Amino acid sequence: MLRITFTKVLNGAKLSPKHIYVATRAQSGEVKKPEKVEVFIDDKPVYVEPGTTVLQAAAMIGVEIPRFCYHERLAVAGNCRMCLVEVEKSPKPVAACAMPVMKGWRIKTDSEMTRKAREGIMEFLLVNHPLDCPICDQGGECDLQDQSMAFGSDRSRFTDIEFSGKRAVEDKDIGPLIKTIMTRCIHCTRCIRFASEVAGVDDLGTTGRGNDMQVGTYVEKLFMSELSGNIIDLCPVGALTSKPYSFTARPWEIRKVDSIDVLDAVGSNIIVSTRTGEVMRIVPRVNEEINEEWLADKSRFAYDGLKRQRLVTPMIRDCNGELKPVDWEAALLTVAKVIKNAGSQVGAIAGGLADAEVLVAVKDLLNKLGSEALCTEHTFPLDGSGTDLRSSYLLNNKIAGVEEADLVLLIGTNPRLEAPLLNSRLRKGWIHNELQVALIGPKVDLRYDYEHLGDDAKVLKEIVSGRHQFSSKLKSAKKPLIIVGSELLERADGAAVLSAVQTLAANTPSQDKDWKVLNILHKVASQVAAFDIGYTPGVDKIREGNLKALLLIGADEGAIDKSDLPQDCFVIYQGHHGDQGASIADAILPGAAYTEKQATYVNTEGRAQETLVAVTAPGRAREDWKIIRALSEIIGAKLPYDNLNEIRCRLEEVAPHLTRYGSAEEANYFKQAEQLAKKIKIQLDECTPIDVKIKELQDYFMTDAITRASPTMAKCVQAVLKQKQSKY
Amino acid sequence: MASTLLRTTKVLSKYPAFTKLGASCISTSAVRNTDPQIKNDIALLKPEEVEHKKKLQNYITVEGTTDISTVTGIPEDFIKERRVRIYEPAKNCMQSGTSNIGHWELDFDTRERWENPLMGWCSSGDPLSNMKVQFATKDEAIDYCEKNGWQYYVQESKLDKKFKPKSYGVNFSWNKRTRVTTK
Amino acid sequence: MAKYFGIDRIFTFLKTIKETGGLKASLYKLYRMDSLRPGQLVGTDKYGNKYYENPHYFYGRNRWVEYAPYYGMDYDGSQVPAEWFGWLHYKTDLLPDKDPSRPKYKWMLDHTENLSGTPGQYMPYSTTLPKIEAWRPPAK
Repeated sequence: MLRITFTKVLNGAKLSPKHIYVATRAQSGEVKKPEKVEVFIDDKPVYVEPGTTVLQAAAMIGVEIPRFCYHERLAVAGNCRMCLVEVEKSPKPVAACAMPVMKGWRIKTDSEMTRKAREGIMEFLLVNHPLDCPICDQGGECDLQDQSMAFGSDRSRFTDIEFSGKRAVEDKDIGPLIKTIMTRCIHCTRCIRFASEVAGVDDLGTTGRGNDMQVGTYVEKLFMSELSGNIIDLCPVGALTSKPYSFTARPWEIRKVDSIDVLDAVGSNIIVSTRTGEVMRIVPRVNEEINEEWLADKSRFAYDGLKRQRLVTPMIRDCNGELKPVDWEAALLTVAKVIKNAGSQVGAIAGGLADAEVLVAVKDLLNKLGSEALCTEHTFPLDGSGTDLRSSYLLNNKIAGVEEADLVLLIGTNPRLEAPLLNSRLRKGWIHNELQVALIGPKVDLRYDYEHLGDDAKVLKEIVSGRHQFSSKLKSAKKPLIIVGSELLERADGAAVLSAVQTLAANTPSQDKDWKVLNILHKVASQVAAFDIGYTPGVDKIREGNLKALLLIGADEGAIDKSDLPQDCFVIYQGHHGDQGASIADAILPGAAYTEKQATYVNTEGRAQETLVAVTAPGRAREDWKIIRALSEIIGAKLPYDNLNEIRCRLEEVAPHLTRYGSAEEANYFKQAEQLAKKIKIQLDECTPIDVKIKELQDYFMTDAITRASPTMAKCVQAVLKQKQSKY
Repeated sequence: MASTLLRTTKVLSKYPAFTKLGASCISTSAVRNTDPQIKNDIALLKPEEVEHKKKLQNYITVEGTTDISTVTGIPEDFIKERRVRIYEPAKNCMQSGTSNIGHWELDFDTRERWENPLMGWCSSGDPLSNMKVQFATKDEAIDYCEKNGWQYYVQESKLDKKFKPKSYGVNFSWNKRTRVTTK
Repeated sequence: MAKYFGIDRIFTFLKTIKETGGLKASLYKLYRMDSLRPGQLVGTDKYGNKYYENPHYFYGRNRWVEYAPYYGMDYDGSQVPAEWFGWLHYKTDLLPDKDPSRPKYKWMLDHTENLSGTPGQYMPYSTTLPKIEAWRPPAK
C-alpha cells in the first residue's frame, strides 16, 4: 500500500499508472488529429478532442472531480452541481460534467472558489438528507458519505427553527428487488436516465419542483425491467438498495471474489460477496467487452437459489424406491459397480450449468470405457458442418461488436430475455449509432423499435433468395449482423435454418473485412464449451443407445425421461440442485455450484472465463471433476489428472482456447461451413412458425435449476404477473 | 533477470597492513629511494585471484530469478499448492471514486471454510486468505510471485474503454434517439 | 488379656466377616470397595445405597457409603443423592430424615448421577440456523 502511494507520488500527485496510460494514449493519438485543443487542469496541460467536457479532460490526467449525477455510461444531466469547478476568467463556477472545454481554458479543480462551491452544494444536499448512515445499507459504499468527508464542511448550519423536521418522502414500492427509501434521494436522476436509456423502460421520473421534487413511478407500479438491479448500483446514496440484501451485511465485512455468471450464455463478470460462508450478494464487475458494468436481474438476484434445494449428500435409491442419504464411499462404490457392469453401454448428458472441467473429465472417462454417448441437453443441428466448425455455433462478432452494427437481423430469438446484456448493447447502438433492427419470430417487446418481419419461416427463405424487401436493406448495410437464437436451431429442421442463415450471411457483404455477419446466441452457459470439447448436441444418441447407465451432469431441463430409457437403466445425477434430474435418478452425487468451484465456462462468443471459489460447497458436496476423477479410480479407468493444473493441461490439449481466459478465440472457416451446409437434405419447414420460449418478462426469471430454487425469482414472477393485471 | 543480491564489504579493508602501507608511503617520502614498495599479498596472487578480488569489491549480480521461498518460513505446501491470481481490480460499480483502482493486486485461491458449530461463524485454516498485496505494475507482482516461488497466473483486465466525448446537447437534439423525454 | 495379645482383633475380624455375610461375600466386598469395615447401618436412600457409621474409626473414615449392588463396579460419588451428601461429608450430623432444614416438595426433581461418558451425556450443539436448505427427495 505504502509502495503504491510512493509510486503515485513519484509519478506526480494524483496520477495512477492507469491514468498515465490513458493520458499517454490520448496524447499519442493527438499527432494524427491536429484539431485537439489544449486546456490546463490545475496548470497541467492536456490535449483533448473538441467537445470533451471539463470533467473528462480532468479524468485524463487523473484529477477526479466529485460528482453525483454524472455517470459515464448515462446521458449528462448536470443537475447535482457537485462538479462545479472554477475556470479562470469565468465569473461563476462551471458544471464540469456538462461544459465542453474551450481552447486555453485554465481549470482549477482545487481553488478556493471550487472548494467553496462544493461545500455549499454538500451543505444543501445534507440539509435534505436524513443522516441515517448507521441504518443505511449503502453505508460504507456511499458516494455521499465519502464526498461529504472529502469535500463537505466540517460543521452543520442546519437548525430546524420551525421544528418541522427534515424533508421526508414516502417510500415507493417498485417491486421485490429494489427497496426504496426516498427520503435519502438527492435527485441525481441516474435511475431515471438508466431506466429510459439503458433499460428502455420509461417508468421512472420526477414529480414536483424544488423541495417537493420526488423521484418515482408516477403511479404505484413495478419497475418492469430485466436490468432493474443496476439502479441499485447507480444510486449514489442509499435511496435505492437491494431488497434481498437489505440489512444482511456491510461492505467492509464481506469478502469479494471475482467470478463469472453462468445463468445465461453471456458470461457476465461478477463479484460474489460472501460472509460467514454464505453468498450475500452478487454485483457486476466491469468488463468492457462483455457486460460493461451492468448485470441482469437473474444473475444478480438468483443467488438465494444457491441456498435452497441443494444436494448436500450422496444418495442411493433403496429397494423401496426411495432416495436415501449415504456416504461417499458407498455411493461411489455402487455407482462404480453399475458403470463397470454397463461396460460401454454408458452415456452422459451435460446440462446447461456444467463447467468445462467436468465435461472433459466425463468425456475422458466414458471414452476410456469405450462409449461415445456424450450429449448435451440442448440440441443443435449436426448436419452440414455441425459442431465441427466453431464459426457455426458462436456469436462470432462478439458482444461489444454489436454496438458498431448499423443493421441487425434477429432470427428466432428474444435477446431482451435470453441475453439481457446483449440487448442493452443493441439498445445502445439503437440510441447512439442509429442502429436498425429487424426481427423474424414472434412479436416480442425488445424495448426499442424494430421492424417485425413476421414469424413465418417463409420470410427467412425469401430473404435468403433475395425476394424479400428486407434483402436490399441487408445488402446495402455497412455493418450488418444476423443473430440467430439457438432455440430456433433446436427445431427438427434446425439444420435447414442454419444452412439458410449461413448462406444469407455469406451473401451479405460488409465493409469491414473482419466483420462477421453470422452470430448464434446461446441460452445456456455450458453449450459452447461442450461443443468445443466434442459433445454431441441433443439426446437422440441416449434414446437409441440402449444404455445400462446414464450420467446426468446437471441436466435438469427434462430432455430425457425415464420412459425414454430401458427399464434397467441406472440413472446417476451429478449436480448441485434437486430438480427434475435428481428426482429421476437412482444415485445422486452432489456437486458444486458455480460460486463454489474454480471452473471454466465458455460464453456464447467463445470466450473462456473462469469462476473462482467464493464459498465452500455445502455438506458433502464436492467439485464436479473431482467426483468423476474419484469415480474413475474405483471403476479402474483412472483419469490422469490429480489437481486443477493437470486438468487444465488436459483442457488445453483438447482445445487450447479453453484455458486462454478472458480472450475470445476467433472462429473462421465461414466459407467451408457454408458450403458444407449446402449439402444438407432437410427442407425448411415453412408451416411451423418461428417461435421463442421466453416471450415475456415473467418467463425470464425461472429458467434453470438455480433460479427455480430461488424464492426471490419466484417473487419476481408473481410481481410481474400482478403488474400485468394492473391497469397501469 | 539479474538482480543484485548483496553488497560485499570491501575485501581490502580487512587488511589493515595494506592500507597502512599506503598511508606510510606519503609520510615517509624522504626515504622513498631506500626500498621499493612491495605489495606482498597482491604480488603473490595469481591473475584470476586478483580478478576475483576486484569483483568482490563491487556488487554481486546473480543471473536468473531469486527464490526466497526457502527462507520466508511459509510452509512448503502453501508455496507449492497455492495458485496466486494477479489482476487489476475494477472500479466498484457502487461508487464513482477512482482512487483505489489503477494498480495490480495479487490474491490466493480460496480454501475450505467451515461453519463454527458454536456460533455459526465462518472458520478457516488459511492465513493467506486475508492477504492481498498491491503493486503499481503487473511486472512487479510477477516478480514478487517468482521470488516467493508461488504459482501465479495473470488475469487480464478488460477495463479500457473507447473514449467518447460526452455532450449535454444530445439530450435535446431533435432528430436523434438520444433525445431525453423523461426528467 | 485378649486385648493385650491382639486376639480381639481376630474376633472383630471374624465378626466383620460374619456381619458381611460369609467369606465369599467379604472377599467380594473387599475386591469391590478396597476395604472391609464393620459398621452401623444408619440408613438407605431410595436408590439402594447404604450408609454406615462406625465411631470406632477416626474422623473422615467413620462414615461411608456402600453403593447399591446393581451398580457393580460402576459406582461413583455422584450416585450419592443430595440429601445424604451433607451427612456423608460431615456438613451435618443429622440424618436426612431428621434434618428440619431439608424441605421436601413434590416438585423437586429426582437426583441424577453424572452422565458424562454415557450415551445420556450432554453434548453441545449448534444453535445457528442452517444456511443451506437441503433437497428432500419427493416421496414415492
